[in-house]
Amino acid sequence: MVLSIFKVLWNNLKQGPSTDPFPFGETFTPARLRGKVAVDPEACVGCGVCATVCAGNAIKHVERGDGSGKDFYVWHNTCTFCGLCQHYCPTDAIRLTNNWSTAHRNEDKYKMKEHEFVAYARCPQCDQAMPNMPHAMLDHIYGAPTEELEAIYKLCPECRRQKAAQQFGAQIHD
Amino acid sequence: MSNTYTIPVGPLHVALEEPMYFQVDVKGEVVQSIEMFAGHSHRGMESLALERNFFQNIVLTERVCSLCSNNHPLTYCMALENIAQIQVPERGQYLRVIADEVKRIASHMFNVGIGLHVIGFNTLFMHAMEVRETMQDLKESIWGNRMDISANTIGGAKYDLDDELEAYLRKTLEELKKPVEEFKHMYATHPQVKARTKDVGILPPEAAIEYGLGGPVARGSGIDNDVRKETPYAAYDKLKFNVVLGEGCDVRSRALVRLGEIFESISLIEQCLDQMPKGPICCDPLPDIPAGQAVARSEAPRGELIYYMRTNGTMYPERLKWRVPTYVNWEGLRVMLDKAKVADIALIVNSIDPCLSCTER
Ligand code: SF4
Ligand code: SF4
Repeated sequence: MVLSIFKVLWNNLKQGPSTDPFPFGETFTPARLRGKVAVDPEACVGCGVCATVCAGNAIKHVERGDGSGKDFYVWHNTCTFCGLCQHYCPTDAIRLTNNWSTAHRNEDKYKMKEHEFVAYARCPQCDQAMPNMPHAMLDHIYGAPTEELEAIYKLCPECRRQKAAQQFGAQIHD
Repeated sequence: MSNTYTIPVGPLHVALEEPMYFQVDVKGEVVQSIEMFAGHSHRGMESLALERNFFQNIVLTERVCSLCSNNHPLTYCMALENIAQIQVPERGQYLRVIADEVKRIASHMFNVGIGLHVIGFNTLFMHAMEVRETMQDLKESIWGNRMDISANTIGGAKYDLDDELEAYLRKTLEELKKPVEEFKHMYATHPQVKARTKDVGILPPEAAIEYGLGGPVARGSGIDNDVRKETPYAAYDKLKFNVVLGEGCDVRSRALVRLGEIFESISLIEQCLDQMPKGPICCDPLPDIPAGQAVARSEAPRGELIYYMRTNGTMYPERLKWRVPTYVNWEGLRVMLDKAKVADIALIVNSIDPCLSCTER
């Protein structure tokens, strides 16, 4: 039962190399490996929490001049793969993929980034631009949203106030 | 032939590939006295911490040292939790212990392995690294990185275990027991290993107390001191384990303490998996961090780690200070290296499991 060093050597001979044959073959990449960050612009509300907690200051949100939305940048070479952005994002819009391939030529260093456009939503009544409110966020705040909420959540704050007052007035009349 | 002369040891490759410079006075091949010079890897981290908010500092403290990289953010978070009176959910507490102990196993295996490399026994060194590799794969599968596992955040743990990973963790630990048992046997019985490590780098228990040493260094001299027992944090008060002690007071005894602790760690993780309740893993939402100050301490693989933090009501710490195990343990080298052979210097230095990147930070 107890090994001697010779048995270790013999077992090593029988087993062959313990290292992965990379780059000529596959290497160990578990599903949870913390690799390059990916952003889902549809799910993002632009709250900026990810940029606040980001240890490497790898995340930049830049407002577009025409008010149509925000450019969302993640710099892979500045990212520490810590996963704080993923942990604190309220809508799971930002997450770490298990793609660890970051090797690149020096001339490509400014291309090593994730760029998404997070478009602002438009109020269906007055066309005012405002941060997008994905359903995931609504669920996060209210649990299962009610019908009334569904009717007003896409409106801008001003129109929403009016609509809510109308709904409330109608209730009193009933 | 009894002239005394001075030789430099280091600053590179003393034992670990970390910079530390020893000025050694020798007579023949026997060490008469040593002078230690540190500061080669100072990165100004205490100052950097003041420029980062509480969240960013979780990651900064993790980068202080790669082998204790779980204990630094853990202790940092505990200090912050003390200031803000945050209660970590029970499941979060157990998850913290699991992360801590997996890191400890890998760290101890690494140190004992390097010790063998220093004495030139590279076959057994490579075998130690291979045994340790199962822990690296485990860390990569559960936490997503081989060294910086990023397991903790303010108010709890950042990861959770599903059934599949829990089964994988149990299986890996079960499969680890036999190789570590065999490895320990080989370490303890191999005549050459014994010849190089027995009665080398003697640290009498009185000296360990006088110099205030901690961790496996003190326990290798029979000093029963372990933060996990003295002031239990996370879920350690709900778990059973023994403090492993050694009698030899030498390099070999310290290595055997580390190997013995691996079994305690395995048992601790298994107890966690058995006892861990379902539920939240992290306090949500986080309360505001008020102005205040606090100290937190934990048992890192190298010994007692202490964090002091002062806050001022903003998102940034006003002062963050840490005292790492190697800072106290390397003073013990004065005792251990006294009258040692020149050829044993690297081995003795390695036996305190020095971590210079966190000591000089
Ligand atoms: S990715 Fe998440 S945290 Fe970042 S701005 Fe979008 S919603 Fe907020
Ligand atoms: S993983 Fe960490 S460093 Fe990278 S973008 Fe997210 S928060 Fe920033």
